[in-house]
Amino acid sequence: MTKNDIHKLAPENIGIKNISIESLVPNPHNPRMLFDRVPLEVLRASIAKVGILVPLTVYWSQEKEHYVILDGQRRWMCAKELGLKDVPVNQVAEPTLVQNIVTMFQIHQLREDWELMPTALKLEVLMRELNERNDKKLAALCGLNQAVVSRCKKLLSYPKKYQDLMLDPDPGKRVKADFFIELYVVINDRFVNKMTWFSKNKFTQRMLEKYQSRKSGLKSVTAFRIMKQHINNARHAKKDKLITERLKEFYFDDTLTLDHLRIQSADVSAGVRKLLGDIRKIEQAVDEIDVSEYYGEEELWSHLERLLKLIRSKLEAAGRRLK
Amino acid sequence: MARVSGWLADFAGYRFPINEGRIDRWIKQFEPNDYDLATRLLDCVDFVSQARMIVAFRSFFDICEGWDINPEQRRGKWCFVAYSASAGESGDEMLHLFRLANKLNGRQYNQLFKYKSELVRENLGPSDTVVFVDDFSGTGTQVCNNWPEIQELLPGGPRVYLVLVAAGINACTKIEEETELNIIPNIRLQEHDNIFSPHCAHFIGEEKEKLLRYCQVADKRNPRGFGDCGFVIVLAHTCPNDSIPILHSSHANWEGLFRRYD
Repeated sequence: MTKNDIHKLAPENIGIKNISIESLVPNPHNPRMLFDRVPLEVLRASIAKVGILVPLTVYWSQEKEHYVILDGQRRWMCAKELGLKDVPVNQVAEPTLVQNIVTMFQIHQLREDWELMPTALKLEVLMRELNERNDKKLAALCGLNQAVVSRCKKLLSYPKKYQDLMLDPDPGKRVKADFFIELYVVINDRFVNKMTWFSKNKFTQRMLEKYQSRKSGLKSVTAFRIMKQHINNARHAKKDKLITERLKEFYFDDTLTLDHLRIQSADVSAGVRKLLGDIRKIEQAVDEIDVSEYYGEEELWSHLERLLKLIRSKLEAAGRRLK
Repeated sequence: MARVSGWLADFAGYRFPINEGRIDRWIKQFEPNDYDLATRLLDCVDFVSQARMIVAFRSFFDICEGWDINPEQRRGKWCFVAYSASAGESGDEMLHLFRLANKLNGRQYNQLFKYKSELVRENLGPSDTVVFVDDFSGTGTQVCNNWPEIQELLPGGPRVYLVLVAAGINACTKIEEETELNIIPNIRLQEHDNIFSPHCAHFIGEEKEKLLRYCQVADKRNPRGFGDCGFVIVLAHTCPNDSIPILHSSHANWEGLFRRYD
């Protein structure tokens, strides 16, 4: 996608005029949002005092036979509350689907209280229409955080039936996007995918059942991070066969909890790896100490003495002969 | 005995089989003096069997314009979608019945049946039609609350229908006023279908008070059913929570005849 292509994504300007407030409708591409009351009241007071200073951006929809607001829904809402008959608008050409979605993203940015799935579905349209899948480019185009684009793409990787679960009309039954985002790392793990019994779809379904019925201790979506950690630990400790069996047992048996995936020796190895990393950092820091520079820094030296004592006691407890 | 046989016949096909023992145990939760009241309540239950639902869905195309089984005669693009999406929930089941009812179960019609998450990319416009299918709306609150999200999936503004087996009259009004959905319920439950309403002629005031007391045991929070609907409708695959709780609540102090969950 070139700069020119991006430029083409802005609808063409037609001109400024005043139109009846009744002939305007909100843009259905706008994400479902609750407008905060306080800033809205401030805006209303300002409009009541000086009118609308920045015209709304609108386009004429041939199909709907209405002006549709591209930018300025809050101003329009305030003007309606104030009983204004007409508002100044800057009319632009009717945008294409892609232009409309890009404009919507650019204007509204992503708010934390949005449901992610509708955003993901719009991103899907953009990816298809623009033949663009690069996270960075999509993020720049839409004004979204790259991490959000990545999350959306994870959601889009699921079959449509699972995507629909995130759109359920009953908020109590709606499955949170976080469930699928957290599960993603497990079902897309290359090692897990090579397990002969493993099927992405079936595994997703089973985990969903366990999560929804609070079985196997899957009470929180973060449980999948722990699951992935156990798998990684086992792999590093070369316990491939054992973790394959354990994961299969966990998959089938609702009485087993995540602890079943914990392989003690693998956990120890993981602990050792972490400790070694930390110790290397300390070694380096100690090695780099310039004694003359820190001479007289009592707190530093007494800490080092304590550390030495501690190391000695641990080594002695481990039966190590100190040289 | 004949009465019990009548109930067994009426309620046949409920997701949790109704038998004589269950009916007997349900009635015995009432005080002996109120057994008659309990049995009269069972007589009032409006049980909607699967066959009735199929008949209900069959009448949809008589009402809506633009549909033709022949794609070339059809106006615009058509999409049929389950309104609620949760696995094993009513939406999927109702959509399946809708297909059967309208002879759309052949493979050649598969492309008409969409997931909600496919709607955005369909890019539907005002000449196209989306038909959401579900079972029931008691108050219309959930449908109305969810409408902005539906709109977000249908930015081109197609014609949208919500086909239901049954809906409360207040739900219909609310949905018609607050959304652009064309609601088509086969059964419109009226004010007199609320057994606590003064318009309900099945029970006198004193009996209504007694029923309410039992309902309070069954569900303290919603003794008149969700949204105070007070309905006695039961669908073959579930009993809506808008119906009175003595019919469906299930806990240590009460066991509904038409329990909703396993």
